[in-house]
Amino acid sequence: MIRMIIGRLTRALSLPKLPQRRQFVVATALTLGNFIFGRDARLADAMDRGELYNKNSNDQKPILDTSIADSRPMKPNYKGHIPLYPHERVLLFLVSGLKSYFHPENGENIVQLGEASAFTYFLRNLEQTMLSDKTGRRLLREQPDITSESLDMDHLSKMAPNTLGHNYYRWLVKEGVSPDTRAPVKYINDPTHAYIFKRYRQCHDFYHAVNDLPIIIEGEIAVKALEAANIGVPMAALGALLAPLRLSQVQKNRLYDVYLPWAVRTGLSSKPLINVYWEELLDHDVDEVRKSLNLSSPPDLRAIRQERARQRKQFKLKYDKHETNA
Amino acid sequence: MRAFRLWKPHWTLARTLASAAKPKKTDIFIVGGGPAGLTLAAAIKTSPYLSTLTTTLVDAGDLKGKTAQFYHEPPEKFTNRVISLTSQSRKFLEDRVGVELMQDRLQAFDGLYVSDGCSDAGMEMERDSMGHMIEILNIQSSLLHRLSQLKASNLNLVDQTKVVNIEHKDPKDPQSWLLVTLSNGDVFETRLLVGCDGFNSPVRKFSKIESRGWFYNRFGVVATMKLDFLPFKTRGWQRFLPTGPIAHLPLPGDNATLVWSTTEPLSRLLVSIDPEQLALLVNAAFVLEDVDMQYYYKQLEQGTITTQELELDINHRTDLIYGKLGNESLIDEIYPPLVSSIDGTSRGRFPLKLSHADSYVADRIALVGDAAHTTHPLAGQGLNMGQGDVESLVKALESASKRGLDLGSLLTLEPYWADRYPYNNMLLGVVDKLHKLYSTDFGPVVAVRSMGLKALQALGPIKDFMMARVSGPSQ
Repeated sequence: MIRMIIGRLTRALSLPKLPQRRQFVVATALTLGNFIFGRDARLADAMDRGELYNKNSNDQKPILDTSIADSRPMKPNYKGHIPLYPHERVLLFLVSGLKSYFHPENGENIVQLGEASAFTYFLRNLEQTMLSDKTGRRLLREQPDITSESLDMDHLSKMAPNTLGHNYYRWLVKEGVSPDTRAPVKYINDPTHAYIFKRYRQCHDFYHAVNDLPIIIEGEIAVKALEAANIGVPMAALGALLAPLRLSQVQKNRLYDVYLPWAVRTGLSSKPLINVYWEELLDHDVDEVRKSLNLSSPPDLRAIRQERARQRKQFKLKYDKHETNA
Repeated sequence: MRAFRLWKPHWTLARTLASAAKPKKTDIFIVGGGPAGLTLAAAIKTSPYLSTLTTTLVDAGDLKGKTAQFYHEPPEKFTNRVISLTSQSRKFLEDRVGVELMQDRLQAFDGLYVSDGCSDAGMEMERDSMGHMIEILNIQSSLLHRLSQLKASNLNLVDQTKVVNIEHKDPKDPQSWLLVTLSNGDVFETRLLVGCDGFNSPVRKFSKIESRGWFYNRFGVVATMKLDFLPFKTRGWQRFLPTGPIAHLPLPGDNATLVWSTTEPLSRLLVSIDPEQLALLVNAAFVLEDVDMQYYYKQLEQGTITTQELELDINHRTDLIYGKLGNESLIDEIYPPLVSSIDGTSRGRFPLKLSHADSYVADRIALVGDAAHTTHPLAGQGLNMGQGDVESLVKALESASKRGLDLGSLLTLEPYWADRYPYNNMLLGVVDKLHKLYSTDFGPVVAVRSMGLKALQALGPIKDFMMARVSGPSQ
């Protein structure tokens, strides 16, 4: 059957009329092509796009305003908002993830990964947690900003040493950071969610201060694990799971034996830390704040490190002595 | 002859000893003067085939006094027992039975907006005179007025009286006539006993017809509300909260009625809080999220929130959600008109349940309305199912009367049951499944049902078909 059709087709194509027919087809194709791709069509398209102007008049050639804002999927929902397309969001997640793994010391990588991994589902959960609590609702309504100005650093430095405010101040000075070092939120679409994420970032320093954990990598991982367990921040969970892979065996042991168990236990048993109005607790006693939030403080990381350094030194001395004796 | 004479005195003596009064004979005995019972009486009296039958209706309430008075001197405020009457039911009442309902206390509505309390899904059902919001007292008193107009000598309306006993005339013969003893001492001997006596129907208990079902562990809270401004569209609004659906239904002018199905503790809270707070909560329930409502319930239960704080918080959250819509004209489109106040004394609550009798008929007995079936009010079908029952029962009695059948026999009554049972069972089932589908806030279920609702919104013909099933074919 098929062979028969093919046979017929070959016979039809090999008819002597073929040259004429080909001419007709080519001419039609050329004419139609000219309609679509020809000069007239291109001119009309250009006119449609407003790229043509009257050379005889004095009007300036129209300047096409194609700012970067027009390339975004939507208008910004708040100041500093950069709306992303879904594929850009995926790219941001992958790229910042890789960069954070190889260069965790660069804050920008971590900040970007944090936002790229702040999935709407998690932010909605966090919003629900805040909406279920009186203070959380007030935070969402008032949207306070933590800056060195709003906190009044001078005032903090003059507070009694047992207050949260002074502890926070001491911690900032000890670690050499300031509340203003927190990056603004850029890629989260919903303004309320953007605020919640900003609030989470700004409160991060309070978690360090109230638990007295330094910003060296182990302290950071401990705070991340605390945040992951307490607030459910995906970035924090990622950090707490993946970051230890890069540590030395001693650091790992210390984390797995002491800090991670503490962080998870404390995170799960304490009140949701996102619902704390830290600014209003500044003049409270830090131990009372810890108690009211059901937070137990961890062993002092710096002390442990110093203790270990001392031991090492001692061992080294012994070893050296042994060598010289021998 | 002689033997008969001798026997007769004994017979009379026996009867007088057995009951205080001589039984009055009646063809149809109706227990219950609710909308179903009164409609049945009026439909019988206006039927060319049945109007000659002696009919007796008994009710425990003050029908002739208080209820009938409503028609002539209606109160200014609306009462809280308001139901939705479908066009079919209204047609039957007005055209067939000839009732003149109080038009100024009845509000036709042209659609219903249904939304999901856990997502942004919503469905708009639009149809002219889709239903009519009407007070139950309006129906009852209009029917009483109609009955008094008819001046039927063979209708006996007995109010403020209860049925104390039902028995067969011949206890050994289940097909014998029934003897009904009333609390005022009267005894009636009837060919057919119709139970329109509600959920706890004594007639059903006597008939030994099993009724199956369950309690929803939910309560319906009703109240009469005043609106901020005249509604821009007269339509009903219903939102499925995880605790149960809340409905905001129009009454004439700037009045509206509330039917809020919720859990037992919350229903107690809703009827006990300040009416002002309830008004705020109703407005919030249609706009805000479940987490907001849970927060307000908790704060109100603990008494840790003042009315001002509540108002401030609700306004803040509402503005935020309005802002997210992006288009202000949508506000009137998807949210009901705001409630400005609620009449605190009009609040009431009642338990919600599903029940369905195995059969509606037995020898000499028929069950109608709530006695046969009760349903969740989320589809507004309870009273209409009863009206449908009456229509069908009257039709069955008419054809029996035409054919000369005994009115109380199963042969007469079974067509009524065969006609109504499948339809009622379908409605009860659909309503029950809807209740179950919407009483969860489990993420995947919410996603699927929201998708379904949005799909329905997009599929006009299917939506029309569903509306036709619930509110009759379009006019």
